[in-house]
Amino acid sequence: MSIVGKNASSAKFRRNRWLLTGLLSLYFIYTFMPLFYVITAATKSNQDLFSTFGLWFAEDFSLWENLATLFTIQDGIFLKWMANTAYYSSVSAVGAALFSTLAGYAFAKYRFFGKKLMFALVLGAVMIPQTALVIPMFLMLSSMGLTNTSLAVILPSLVFPPGVFLMWAYIDDAISNELIEAGRMDGAGEVHIFSSIAFRMLMPGFATVLILAFVASWNNYFLPLVMLNKPDMFPITVGLAQLYSTAISGTGGVLLFTVVMTGALVSIVPVIAAFLIMQRFWQGGLGAGGVKA
Amino acid sequence: MAAIELRNVRKAFGTVEVIGNVNLSIEDGAFVIFVGPSGSGKSTLLRLVAGLEDATAGQILIDGTDVTQLGPAERQLSMVFQSYALYPTKTVRQNMSFGLEVARLPKADIRTRVDAVADILKIGEYLDRKPRALSGGQRQRVAIGRAIVREPVAFLFDEPLSNLDAALRVEMRIEIAKLHQRLGATMIYVTHDQVEAMTLADRIVVLDRGSIQQVGTPMELYQRPANLFVAQFIGSPKMNVLAVRPDGSALVFADGRRADLGVSFPPRLAHVGFRPEEVQLLSIGQGHLQGKVEVVERLGSDTFAHVGLGELGIITARMPGNVLSISPGQPVGLGLSGNQLHQFSRDGSRLS
Amino acid sequence: MTERQLKTRPRNRVIVNKKIAPYLFLAPFALLFVAFLIVPLIYAADISLYKKAMVGGVKFVGADNYIKAFADPKFWEGIGVLFKFAFLQIPIMIGTALLFALILDSGVLWAKAFFRISFFIPYAVPAVIATLIWSYLYGPAYGPIGQTARLLGFEAPDFVSQEWILGSIVNIAQWQFMGYNMIIYFAALQAIPGDLEEASVVDGASAFTFATRIKLPMIVPTIIVTVVFSIIGSLQLFTEPFLIQNMARSVINSNFTPNIYAYNLTFVAQQPNYAAAISFLLGGVIAVVSYVFMLATNQRIDR
Repeated sequence: MSIVGKNASSAKFRRNRWLLTGLLSLYFIYTFMPLFYVITAATKSNQDLFSTFGLWFAEDFSLWENLATLFTIQDGIFLKWMANTAYYSSVSAVGAALFSTLAGYAFAKYRFFGKKLMFALVLGAVMIPQTALVIPMFLMLSSMGLTNTSLAVILPSLVFPPGVFLMWAYIDDAISNELIEAGRMDGAGEVHIFSSIAFRMLMPGFATVLILAFVASWNNYFLPLVMLNKPDMFPITVGLAQLYSTAISGTGGVLLFTVVMTGALVSIVPVIAAFLIMQRFWQGGLGAGGVKA
Repeated sequence: MAAIELRNVRKAFGTVEVIGNVNLSIEDGAFVIFVGPSGSGKSTLLRLVAGLEDATAGQILIDGTDVTQLGPAERQLSMVFQSYALYPTKTVRQNMSFGLEVARLPKADIRTRVDAVADILKIGEYLDRKPRALSGGQRQRVAIGRAIVREPVAFLFDEPLSNLDAALRVEMRIEIAKLHQRLGATMIYVTHDQVEAMTLADRIVVLDRGSIQQVGTPMELYQRPANLFVAQFIGSPKMNVLAVRPDGSALVFADGRRADLGVSFPPRLAHVGFRPEEVQLLSIGQGHLQGKVEVVERLGSDTFAHVGLGELGIITARMPGNVLSISPGQPVGLGLSGNQLHQFSRDGSRLS
Repeated sequence: MTERQLKTRPRNRVIVNKKIAPYLFLAPFALLFVAFLIVPLIYAADISLYKKAMVGGVKFVGADNYIKAFADPKFWEGIGVLFKFAFLQIPIMIGTALLFALILDSGVLWAKAFFRISFFIPYAVPAVIATLIWSYLYGPAYGPIGQTARLLGFEAPDFVSQEWILGSIVNIAQWQFMGYNMIIYFAALQAIPGDLEEASVVDGASAFTFATRIKLPMIVPTIIVTVVFSIIGSLQLFTEPFLIQNMARSVINSNFTPNIYAYNLTFVAQQPNYAAAISFLLGGVIAVVSYVFMLATNQRIDR
């Protein structure tokens, strides 16, 4: 971007820069405060959690004890939840991204009978409330004895309409029709064109959908809540929520309050780290959908 | 090499007909150019030949074989696209090899062929680069190289030079002409630039609104345009056209002015045309029409005078060299030659 | 050059032509779409027409469940909550997201990349965990907000009281999703060609005028799409109130939002048939609201 006419040395510009940086810094404090709280809470004993100032560390540093508790409660079930989450989310994300990419490619690059109707169906699907889908799905799967299996959580997550929309927008821009036609002139079949020419070009879009589908699956609470009732099948979200309700109802003892926060910390750190590492992808790719819209 | 023939070819997208009943035969080894304004259907016609679009009706024959139902590669044609359409993730060598790999040629053969073509086009040193590391002109060469390695029976070009700057365009135009001489292959070339059409083509096909207006050599089109559309599309500056009514050996113009040209005109005459070099600038009072010079354009090699004729509009006269004796505002007479006038009927077709 | 080398080569691989290819590419998604979207919907539509009878299984009741739902104050209370929530949450979130995106795009600040990335980070925190964290922060005794207020000499409000609960949930959504929308707007703003800015500078426009009068209107289509997605998301509110319920049973009842109502109808009250009708009705409300919004904004653009 050019900054023609923005005279960096002018007094007005300097004043505005202080003002706007200050404004965003305030919002940053708001954004950061809860995350900082998780960190301090995870380092406190349960007693200190209630008796010391929330946004600073207590004198006793209890992070290691909390971690030890977290990973040993109910025979180390938290570790199991982490593994479950990783498994559900990564399989869902890879599958959803792959199928979305294929479908988005078809919508972006072909004329075919029924295209408009199908595209409208996919877009309309985002309006369906979760309960309208998950509850009947539960009733159906339970009659087939498929609840309480990983498939019950993974298969529905493979349908990711926003991914189709995003890939459609991305591919429409990133891959010109002429390029595909060049492939046809070269004698390549449609599948070959996709696999050897198009796919590598749409990797940035694919990566974005992968991240979004991962977040959607890792974020999902309602689907596993309904589908799973064996604690050792839970993902972190359902497990932590359950720990929290036992903590608040007092049945699990007061100890659990810090453990919940420690669990929150342990589960968001790797995802935040992954986001920071992959920022190149989501920053570029999220834009594609937005700009297209 | 191949002769290409189109028989009663039609193409419609939904209910919109973009190509209406085209018949055309292209001789083996010819350099044929499809020219026309945007929306004339020239690119669609090329894509029909390529097999990238399916004809709604009609037949396409290559060397007498009906290829209408065959896919693009089976027609053994190569195409150079406007955007070059190089595969961005592949190197230049991989770009050129791709079609041969698809056809499963032995690796060694592919190497030899690519090297030979790279040599011809002087792109040998870029073979390991990705397209994005090349300049526009280099990409253009790679695109042409990719077309050549497949040793097609004919080459198709879809506005290949329109993304290049003016100087490079002239250079590549000459390259393509040399390539045609060297390979002797049939080439079909689409452009909206009539200079490209005039300089490159053996034969030009002028299209407008999905139908062929005229097919002929550049000089035939220039000298004997079949209708008003062709007359005004070919040639720069455009041919001057005036609406007239014949009256014996005289012409009566739209504003009632009369000019006796001493030749007899057919009664169906409705428009006369004359190219800028076919009108003479004379002193006021002389010649057949009187007007006033409005703008003078000096190109060094030529001088163009745009002469206002009141209600009749503006006509352009060309004079070789830098003519110092004319200036804007000057009243002038225009001299026409009755024998040289292009004559058109009310519907725009040529009256010979 | 004259031999037809390519044509003679045997083709022994399957070449998918361009008429079949799109269906092939669509097949995996379409199959799952049918299995996990269309079929459950049909199933739900079907069961919504039945009712558990007192004796002996279910019986067909036609539109009875829908008629009942239409007259069910518990459903409409939930819809009322959703509307209040959406009217509060969406303007605040979209407004701040736009403001920050315009500021970041103007470049008149330090640490652009830092703010852009840090504002987006909460998006990586699942709603469940975000809600857990905020409910700790809301805690009247041990929550740092209350502590800070007390330190400054006044009492913080009870964030999970009848009066504050909606604001507290709005805050969680704001914290989580503002950055996501901001990133989308930022990308759309960055896609506006630079010469437009030069033109407006030549025209004597200030950076502020340029941002509000030229850039903002250019990303209106993007804004509309994000608002539609926000409407759809807000009207499906479930996770946040469902979890906060633990600490505010008196405020968040079993029909606080229609989704919570449907959940409780199915798993607590054992009335999946009625729950299905409630879900469909909610879907209808979402579709109508989204459609009305799109219609309203479209007309504005055309004018």
